[in-house]
Amino acid sequence: MGVTLKRILVIDDAATVRLYHRGILEAAGFAVSEAINGLEALERVAEAPFDLYVVDINMPKLDGYGFLRELRSKDIPQAPAIMVSTEAAANDQKLAYVSGANLYLIKPVRPERLLAHVLTLLGLSVAPRDPHQGRHQ
Amino acid sequence: MMEPTTISDDEFQKFREFFYRKTGILFEDSKRYFVDKRLLERMTLTACETFRSYFTMLRFQTSGEELQALINAMTVNETYFFREEYQFQCLVNSMLEEIVAQRTTNAPIRIWSVPSSSGEEPYSIAIYLLEYWPHLTRWDVEIISSDIDTQILNQARRGLYTPRAVQHLPASLLKKYFQRDGEYYQIGTELRDAVEFTRVNVSDAADMRLHRQFDVIFCRNLLIYFDDLSRKQTAESFYDALNPGGFVCLGHSESMSRISSLFRVRKFPEAIVYQKPWGSR
Amino acid sequence: MALKKAAAQATTTDDERQRDRDLDGLVLALADADPLARRWAARDLVAYPTATTALIAQLMVESEPSVMEVILTTLTRIGDEQAVIGLVQCLRSEDAMLRNAAIEAMKLLPDEVAPMMGRLLADADPDVRIFAVNVLESLRHPQVENWLLRVITDDAHINVCATAVDLLGEVGSEVAVPALRALKQRFTEEPYIQFAADLALKRIAAG
Ligand SMILES: C[S@@+](CC[C@H](N)C(=O)[O-])C[C@H]1O[C@@H](n2cnc3c(N)ncnc32)[C@H](O)[C@@H]1O
Repeated sequence: MGVTLKRILVIDDAATVRLYHRGILEAAGFAVSEAINGLEALERVAEAPFDLYVVDINMPKLDGYGFLRELRSKDIPQAPAIMVSTEAAANDQKLAYVSGANLYLIKPVRPERLLAHVLTLLGLSVAPRDPHQGRHQ
Repeated sequence: MMEPTTISDDEFQKFREFFYRKTGILFEDSKRYFVDKRLLERMTLTACETFRSYFTMLRFQTSGEELQALINAMTVNETYFFREEYQFQCLVNSMLEEIVAQRTTNAPIRIWSVPSSSGEEPYSIAIYLLEYWPHLTRWDVEIISSDIDTQILNQARRGLYTPRAVQHLPASLLKKYFQRDGEYYQIGTELRDAVEFTRVNVSDAADMRLHRQFDVIFCRNLLIYFDDLSRKQTAESFYDALNPGGFVCLGHSESMSRISSLFRVRKFPEAIVYQKPWGSR
Repeated sequence: MALKKAAAQATTTDDERQRDRDLDGLVLALADADPLARRWAARDLVAYPTATTALIAQLMVESEPSVMEVILTTLTRIGDEQAVIGLVQCLRSEDAMLRNAAIEAMKLLPDEVAPMMGRLLADADPDVRIFAVNVLESLRHPQVENWLLRVITDDAHINVCATAVDLLGEVGSEVAVPALRALKQRFTEEPYIQFAADLALKRIAAG
């Protein structure tokens, strides 16, 4: 392929959640990396920034809010971040936006919703690849 | 007298917990053979016929002599000159530059290499500074290096190395800093005078408290032997041993992101290291 | 200027450890204005298991993350019932950082946490139930699978179930199969539950 893939970092301490998000995003033609907490995510970002972040809130060492605050204070190309959490409380949502999230989704997230938001935030009208063709599960 | 021959499962468990509490080193079941063998050796040497009597001595001997001997027997000391050299490059090209740029006094820069093992790491740091850090003309640097194993510390002070330990050193540096002694290589006075060795158990708060005000800590290939809690505890002690802005360098298979949230990751061209934030206390 | 041999001991005048190192002195130091003094107090208090109450009280008001971290490490090292009760209290904190740090600490105390698990998994607050399932992850306890099965069978909250399924993929055995199938039936419209339950079933089948 001639074009370089858009890179997405999925940050969640639950392995199954990372796998789920990875499956959805890779099927749509994105390159996905993973991190198990906010600190590890910052390490990944230090290696090379991403085009989009999918961030859980509750994680050990550094939670999603802390990750976004650190990310946003960095002098690097910034990219949209989707916060994904089990917490439905209005206060958590507010905190997510204040920390630098572009969008807040409540878990569990449906594949088509996640994908639609990712495309919008990346300014794409269609997915790089049709997720329904040759979907690898 | 009967020679002790076996260690039971219960005894192994008991010993493992005790040793872990003392040193932070946790032996997996897979290390059972190694541990039993060392224990039986020490029991024979100390004329203890049963594990029980040996264990009592280990725990209650006031001098702690036998515990130290056992620690010496149980530790893995593998190391060599210029191991993970990219971190030394990072030290002279990036970390020290940032540190001196922020300095307001001309107090010496302090570097801690722990664990030292037989000294290859701290002497490598000394060589690197002498060879590749131009600002050494303007700054004093103190290198302190520590290990829990007293025997290996003596070896480090002696500074006598096999060809294998020095095989990654460029020939010119080998010639400059070592004298050939038969099959061995003996460090010269320049290196010997550059490093101070001390005995430290990083899991012991009293030992750690004596080691402070460092600008860079190298702690490579130690935490991999520890369990989560001991790793975290050690990282926290390092935080208080560092000046604000100070760096921690870990081995290539170790990551602070899984250990403690006190440090911030710093990416330099040569390496990823961890920093106690400037302005923290 | 050059490489210099050092006295290993840092010559320092600002000794933050100047207060008495007995229980009362350390508890006082725990409220010192200097975070460095607070960290040293929290670290040295490991010698006094009766200090858990004071440590937890400080934890609840502590604003400096580095001090929080050391207090939690000491509580974990003390690791008695009092300490665990304090950690459980933290699960209800508004502060996400404190909650997550308490979960981490509890994961390191499986034996002490196990007796409280039943109660935590029945807590009225779904978030507390999710945290409890998170703690289960590291509990090497014979009951773990049973607890998880109870959660995916009885808990009405989808995210509590989701967290439990994640874990069943790791610790589940043949016994879990009917409950996983029933869970899929209960949440037919939820792709995540379908995905996670299928993954768990696949892993169990693979042994
Ligand atoms: C594999 S060597 C690492 C040497 C060197 N840093 C390197 O990376 O090449 C590990 C050393 O850790 C030391 N050690 C083990 N437990 C220790 C502890 N609790 N405190 C200090 N040193 C310890 C051992 O004695 C051994 O010399």
